[in-house]
Amino acid sequence: MSEFLDLESQDGVRMTWNIFPGTKQDAVGCVIPTAAIYTPLKPIPNTPVLPYAPLRCRMCRSILNPFSIVDYIAKIWICPFCFQRNHFPPHYSSISEDNLPAELFPQYTTIEYESTPDAGPAVPPVFLFVVDTCMIEEEIGFLKSSLAQAVELLPEKSLVGLITFGTYVQVHELGFGQVPKSYVFKGSKEVTKEQILEQMCFFTRKPKPSVGVIAGSRDGLSAESIARFLLPASECEFVLDSLLEELQKDPWPVPSDQRASRCTSTALSIAASLLGVCVPGSGARIMAFVGGPSTEGPGSIVSKNLSEPIRSHKDLEKGSAPLYNKAVKFYEGLSKQLVHQGHVLDLFACALDQVGVAELKVAVERSGGIVVLTESFGHSVFKDSLRHIFQSSDYDLGLSFNGIFEVNCSKDVKVQGILGPCASLEKKGPLCSETAVGQGNTSAWKLCGLDKKTSLCLVFDIARKDGPEAIGQPTSNQFYFQFLTYYQHNDGHMRLRTTTLSRRWVAGPGSIQDLIAGFDQEAAAAVMARLVSFKMEMEADFDPIRWLDRSLIRLCSKFGDYQKDSPSSFSLSPRLSIFPQFMFHLRRSQFVQVFNNSPDETAYYRMILNRENVANSVVMIQPSLISYSFQSDPEPALLDVTAIAADRILLLDSYFIVVVFHGASIAQWRNAGYQNQAEHQPFAQLLQAPRDDADAIAKERFPVPRLVICDQYGSQARFLLAKLNPSVTYNSDNPPAPGGDVIFTDDVSFQVFLDHLQRLAVQ
Amino acid sequence: MASSQPFPSGPPRPRPGFSPNPNPNPNPSAAADAIQNLQIGRPPPPSAVPGVAAAPPFTSPASRPGPPPAATSLSRPGHPPFASRPPPSSAPITSNGPPAFGLGAPRFPPPPPASQQMPPVSGPATIRAASPSAAPPQAQVARSFPGSPPSAHPPSSQPFMGPPPSSQPFMSPQLSSQPLMGPLSSRPFGGPPSSQPFGGPPSSRPFGGPPSSQPFGGPSSQPFGGLPASQPFSGLPASQPFSGLPASQPFSGPPASQPFSGPPASQPYTAPPMPFPGPPTSSSPFGTPSWQSQAQQGVPSMVSMQAPPRMFGMPPHTPGQTMASVPPVMGHSPLAGHQVSTPSKIDPNQIPRPVPSTSVVLFETRQGNQANIPPPATSDFIVKDNGNCSPRLMRCTMNQIPCTGDLLSTSSMPLALMVQPFALPHPSEEPIQVVDFGESGPLRCSRCKGYVNPFMRFVDQGRHFTCNLCGFTNETPRDYYCNLGPDGRRRDADERPELCRGTVEFVATKEYMVRDPMPAVFFFIIDVTMNAIQTGATAAACTAVSQALAELPEGPRTMVGVATFDSSIHFYNLKRASQQPLMLIVPDIQDVYTPLHTDLIVQLTECRQNLEQLLDSIPNMFENNRVTESAFGAAIKAGFLAMKPTGGKLLVFQSVLPSVGIGSLSSREAEGRTNISSGDKEAHKLLQPADKTLKTMAIEFAEYQVCVDIFLTTQTFVDIASISVVPRTTGGQVYYYYPFSAVSDTAKLYNDLRWNISRPQGFEAVMRVRCSQGLQVQEYSGNFCKRIPTDIDLPAIDCDKTIMVTFKHDDKFQEGSECGFQCALLYTTVYGQRRIRIINLSLPCTSMLSNLFRSADLDTQFACFLKQAANGVPTSPLSQVRDQITNLCINILHSYRKYCATVSSSGQLILPEALKLLPLYTLALVKSIGLRNDGRLDDRSYWISHVASLSISLAIPLVYPRMISIHDLASKEEDGSLLSATIPLSSEHINEDGIYLLENGEDGLIYVANMVNSDILQQLFGVSSADGIPTQLVLQQFDNDLSKKLNDVVNEIRRQRCSYLRLRLCRKGDPSGMFFFPYMVEDKAPGGLSYVEFLVHVHRQIQTKMA
Repeated sequence: MSEFLDLESQDGVRMTWNIFPGTKQDAVGCVIPTAAIYTPLKPIPNTPVLPYAPLRCRMCRSILNPFSIVDYIAKIWICPFCFQRNHFPPHYSSISEDNLPAELFPQYTTIEYESTPDAGPAVPPVFLFVVDTCMIEEEIGFLKSSLAQAVELLPEKSLVGLITFGTYVQVHELGFGQVPKSYVFKGSKEVTKEQILEQMCFFTRKPKPSVGVIAGSRDGLSAESIARFLLPASECEFVLDSLLEELQKDPWPVPSDQRASRCTSTALSIAASLLGVCVPGSGARIMAFVGGPSTEGPGSIVSKNLSEPIRSHKDLEKGSAPLYNKAVKFYEGLSKQLVHQGHVLDLFACALDQVGVAELKVAVERSGGIVVLTESFGHSVFKDSLRHIFQSSDYDLGLSFNGIFEVNCSKDVKVQGILGPCASLEKKGPLCSETAVGQGNTSAWKLCGLDKKTSLCLVFDIARKDGPEAIGQPTSNQFYFQFLTYYQHNDGHMRLRTTTLSRRWVAGPGSIQDLIAGFDQEAAAAVMARLVSFKMEMEADFDPIRWLDRSLIRLCSKFGDYQKDSPSSFSLSPRLSIFPQFMFHLRRSQFVQVFNNSPDETAYYRMILNRENVANSVVMIQPSLISYSFQSDPEPALLDVTAIAADRILLLDSYFIVVVFHGASIAQWRNAGYQNQAEHQPFAQLLQAPRDDADAIAKERFPVPRLVICDQYGSQARFLLAKLNPSVTYNSDNPPAPGGDVIFTDDVSFQVFLDHLQRLAVQ
Repeated sequence: MASSQPFPSGPPRPRPGFSPNPNPNPNPSAAADAIQNLQIGRPPPPSAVPGVAAAPPFTSPASRPGPPPAATSLSRPGHPPFASRPPPSSAPITSNGPPAFGLGAPRFPPPPPASQQMPPVSGPATIRAASPSAAPPQAQVARSFPGSPPSAHPPSSQPFMGPPPSSQPFMSPQLSSQPLMGPLSSRPFGGPPSSQPFGGPPSSRPFGGPPSSQPFGGPSSQPFGGLPASQPFSGLPASQPFSGLPASQPFSGPPASQPFSGPPASQPYTAPPMPFPGPPTSSSPFGTPSWQSQAQQGVPSMVSMQAPPRMFGMPPHTPGQTMASVPPVMGHSPLAGHQVSTPSKIDPNQIPRPVPSTSVVLFETRQGNQANIPPPATSDFIVKDNGNCSPRLMRCTMNQIPCTGDLLSTSSMPLALMVQPFALPHPSEEPIQVVDFGESGPLRCSRCKGYVNPFMRFVDQGRHFTCNLCGFTNETPRDYYCNLGPDGRRRDADERPELCRGTVEFVATKEYMVRDPMPAVFFFIIDVTMNAIQTGATAAACTAVSQALAELPEGPRTMVGVATFDSSIHFYNLKRASQQPLMLIVPDIQDVYTPLHTDLIVQLTECRQNLEQLLDSIPNMFENNRVTESAFGAAIKAGFLAMKPTGGKLLVFQSVLPSVGIGSLSSREAEGRTNISSGDKEAHKLLQPADKTLKTMAIEFAEYQVCVDIFLTTQTFVDIASISVVPRTTGGQVYYYYPFSAVSDTAKLYNDLRWNISRPQGFEAVMRVRCSQGLQVQEYSGNFCKRIPTDIDLPAIDCDKTIMVTFKHDDKFQEGSECGFQCALLYTTVYGQRRIRIINLSLPCTSMLSNLFRSADLDTQFACFLKQAANGVPTSPLSQVRDQITNLCINILHSYRKYCATVSSSGQLILPEALKLLPLYTLALVKSIGLRNDGRLDDRSYWISHVASLSISLAIPLVYPRMISIHDLASKEEDGSLLSATIPLSSEHINEDGIYLLENGEDGLIYVANMVNSDILQQLFGVSSADGIPTQLVLQQFDNDLSKKLNDVVNEIRRQRCSYLRLRLCRKGDPSGMFFFPYMVEDKAPGGLSYVEFLVHVHRQIQTKMA
């Protein structure tokens, strides 16, 4: 496993198969698709940033890299992708074996180029706050204080705008000094970009050009008309503060049997159009703070009438959520607009009700936005997450903008698509596979927003046919991949990161051991999770459990070591051994078992899954459990109900929730206050240790996980119990150990699952 | 006595004081030129021809100078005989030429002689008399005429004038007469020849001018002083007014114009009046008819006039003599009538003109159980409500109701009520009493729902009452029962206002409310487009609103809001304690909405400071606004939406053409011009609303009790035709400041706004007029919205708004019965009380056409015509409207002539006493802004919209403005009659050294001629030359008597009109001067006849009809 981590730390890439199945047929037989999870902006220490433009192959446009074959005498390099011979340009004339440019150093498979300063001034990032006001005063109060904090933390140069909405949308003109001024739009009506241009007086000082695209200062908008709405944070802090201070509940009356009239979609559409008008093509985020379901406008998710419940998964499945498709369609349109403009939509959904994350998902995800879901603006998950975004620290998100991601591969490899927070740029080419997964049919993607942890899952297709002519070519048992990421670094300059990889492929009989050796079961689990989520969303009547089970069985059948029809003889290579467990937990996870969750929650979990790296994805699938006790140092515990003991503290990290679980005795001691007594210092330390670890987790994670501190037998303990393997249930034969616990479920335990797996795998 | 005094005093004062000296000189020459030219056109009176030649030059000079007065005085005493003759002569003169023929023998014959005689004595003579001493020479000098004219003049003048000064009067007359005779005789007989000798031009002057003009001439009256003048007028006008003039003739003669110049003439006449009595008889031989008429009228009428406190020059009612005696007559020679060529002899100074009254009259609405005929609407009177309502509130076009529809149509007169339910009472009148019937609500007829009123007859010991409207007999409710007294009235009738007063208010019960009475809501919408900002209109509006806040009704029920707009609409959240107002912009102007549910309209007490601050800063906030587009329609819609829950008044300040958003308009004026030039017959369509959008909106506004007033502070075309639909439908009105000037219009804007919100008014009103069986309401007309046939909805109604209600017969009335009218107005006061105002009028029915004419109410009828004309303008070509209006006048006079004026012959134009000003008003109407060809579209549209709700008392001045001289204010009496010395609207009354104020209730034009004494300018304007007066005039008060008086006068006018006059400077020789002359309605203008010509035209038409 560790070699995969090493590879990841060098290039930010994890692959399901690090030794590729060499032919299409082999690949199909491997069950788990050949895929890579790539973190484009993963901080890689010592990665050089080259202050010059990259050298490209004149045939395939790939960039000079350590895998290129260089003829120092002839000053020629051969592209590993297309085998094109390229001459070095004059400024590379001094190249020699002893004098290599950084991009040819073997260890610099990942390297960055930064545009030269003359390419233009740094572009400040833009933050457009879109704030819901249909909330109870208390919530507004929470939101106000959080926003006020955020405003303080804004980078000085960044531009800020404010839109509030409720029944109507108010676009605040921060640059109007004399009185607070805002443009008010009707919530129930869509507003086009052209209308924005016209109605917000962008052309009062000069005639509107009769033709051509109008957008931004380059295209005819005066800077001052833009500066009415988007101001440097340092200039409008006071105005913004006072506006936020006065933020009030939406004044329109709400009948007691109705929901507030909340036009989230219109507000977002106006925000998008405003940015599209003012700062197209430069990094900008719409940060939407939503406190309830959208009931007005094209993206409404439920009618105002309270007697109509908000759609559930069951409604969606039965097609009895009349507004759902319309809303999704609207947000698809919005996402296209955002992608086109290169802007990000971030969503902070803080309400007990659903707010429509499921519908908004498409817009947030395609634009690479951040999403935070919790039940109140007063909740630390929201407050800390928001702070996390703006706080500069070791864990800052490294928010970057306006990325474009491109892939080059050896000709026998095609790309099916990407599962992750990006949008296809529809750049079709020989590289595109016929079957598309996620954002496919392209070799370039837009990542309007990306950060250090944004991880894309590329699904490959091995196109190489099994044939005599294909086998036996010498140098051709290597596949090459080059990932190019252009993005606006958070310092405002454009950068290009290139990662070039090479993997060996094997084909034909006897290659199984090689394949196994290259199998990364964690990456595979992460990929399977993304895939199953994707399929659940996209494919009607898809049965995820069955699909997962069959995949697992086929995988075990192919790579397991067994005698036919003898379950007891079954064994798996260590490379594969944990995979069934991942699948077991994946089957039980919120990604697959959606019916315990609202569509909003499901969408939320999936969006996070789709943007996280392998390690975190694995935590989501199979939470980690650490046990603290007087008997030993903190140690990982089995994710099993048997891990519970009266004298233990358990720390469960399921990514979204971190649970500190006190055994019954510990809770009693704590309640008795022993930790406050000098002679029980160790107990105090024992109590504190999991809290510290939980804080450490929270600190580096975004969104900040929800921290649950609970006691055995307490009601909050369900957060832990739900994640444990139900090896001991209320109807188990074996009673729990003293101080242990039982789970009231009819779910099968891992042991039962495994038994079945073995039985089926050997058939 | 008066006359006698005048003489002595008159001569000395007036002449010298007047400027006689200066005048004479300048006048003669200058006047000769100017006046001749100008007046020539008018005074066509051929009569002039005879003695004329001399006259013209003189006349002008003479007329002005004081002399005339003297002359008059003289003439009266000494010359009666002459005078009498002359006057007759004047009449005759008209016939002059013709008379000679002998056909007209009776009449004409006299003329000739008369004319001859006349000239010498009365006409020219008198006139010149003033100048005589001076004049003669001048006259001689003046022109070639000298020869003949001079002779004429001197004589004439001498006779009159001479006498005074020299005391030779007699002699002079004789002399004059002789000389005159000579020329005259020659002329009369050979009118043409005489003219020939003189030469075209000269002749024209002399002829026309002297005779006719002199007698009537206003100037003379002036010089004489108010009193004398009035007398002469009254006397003359009434009787003679028209007498003279063979219409056709006047026209023919350009020369005639001069004669009219009349100033001089007036004098002669004045003199004549006295003599007339005598002369008439004597003269009878000559032109019996004409004279008689004159005489009779003159004398009797005078008497009658005085008896009834009428202010008008013309005694409206001549006593018993319905027909013969009364009819002011236009002596018309049959021949002349037929022959266009024959010169007319109308004496411009004798034709009827309004004479303002100076004294207050006490008017009891009923006496002896009979309706009294109300005084003219324009006069000053105090009403005592004895059962009929005050005529201010409601008055009928005729004070007796025709028994049958046939009778009505025979009369050609309209039958309509003008209802002005909140008309301001005279301060001395009793307030309207409020009656509370408790929970049961006011007593009503159970069939027609008419409200209890003094004309409901209680019968059967009071147990039942009979409705005066539908005739149904109702049972008296037990708690309302009361015994009848011996007179058949309820014993408590005098204690119960509803049984003894024509107007009462009932407290409305729940039954009359669909919701709680609405608060008083005022929402101001202010234009902040670039144009408005730069012209200062925004600042002016903000200031006005800010100041006007203090005038809003006190109390928690008063709510206010403000919005501004350019191409989007800006609302302001005012309810932010101690915070700055928040500006909320509604950019969607196709589909507008309000940005907030509450806080846009808040209690005045809560937000006054905020609001004032905001209004203060609005001009600054938009200082750099570059938006030129105006979303007016969307703005008022948005304002409406904000007010929808309550209703109220929406006051909009608009500066440019609404160009974007809902209800946007295009600049039709440009199209209009091109179309007009290409002779498009559809030109009037530009006076119709461009489309139905605003109308639809307005109806919705009205439904939610929102009344829109629009203040147009503009310098461009704004399409009032379309815009005005909104105020018109919602009970509001349009204010028009064109071209807007921040300097001179700011004060008016403020005053208009202040009056708008502080005047007596009511909200969410519904009005219905009921009448006795036999009549039914035909149509309502005014500013309101009508959703069901019987009622009109008035989101707001105020003291300035008048509604016209026309009626038609559906049955007959019994002779001797009375027809009742009842207007019921249900409304909410500004303090939130729901009231029903009941206005009752009961008039006797008659089957005598003569009674109808006798009881005709000129002012009301004219207001009715005015409104009909205004309604017609957008739908028919202008020429057609003008013809219709003229025909209305002709038809009425024809009816009178045909059925009532038995005595006179067809050669006379006979006017019913009560309607004798109808031709003048009709002429003025035809020449008014709304019916002129040359007006701007917006001006005409504004006129139409203004007229729609105009009250009777303002309708007259609008069409026939009041003109007074102000350069000589200092010398006028201070008894409050400063305004009474009005000058006829004819440019011949404008002196070169004069300053005049002409006001029509809306605008005040200050005309400064070009030879004004610089002292006077200094006193009035603080500058020494006319050129120094700023065009954007702001009247200041300087520390001198003249300036004070001018300010007093202006203020008095403002008070009278309830309007802050928009003062405008018109300088002679300056483009601004051109604004002034169209108001000279008696002048001949490119588009219209002179007054005399018009009379002739009318006469001819009548004759044609008779034939």
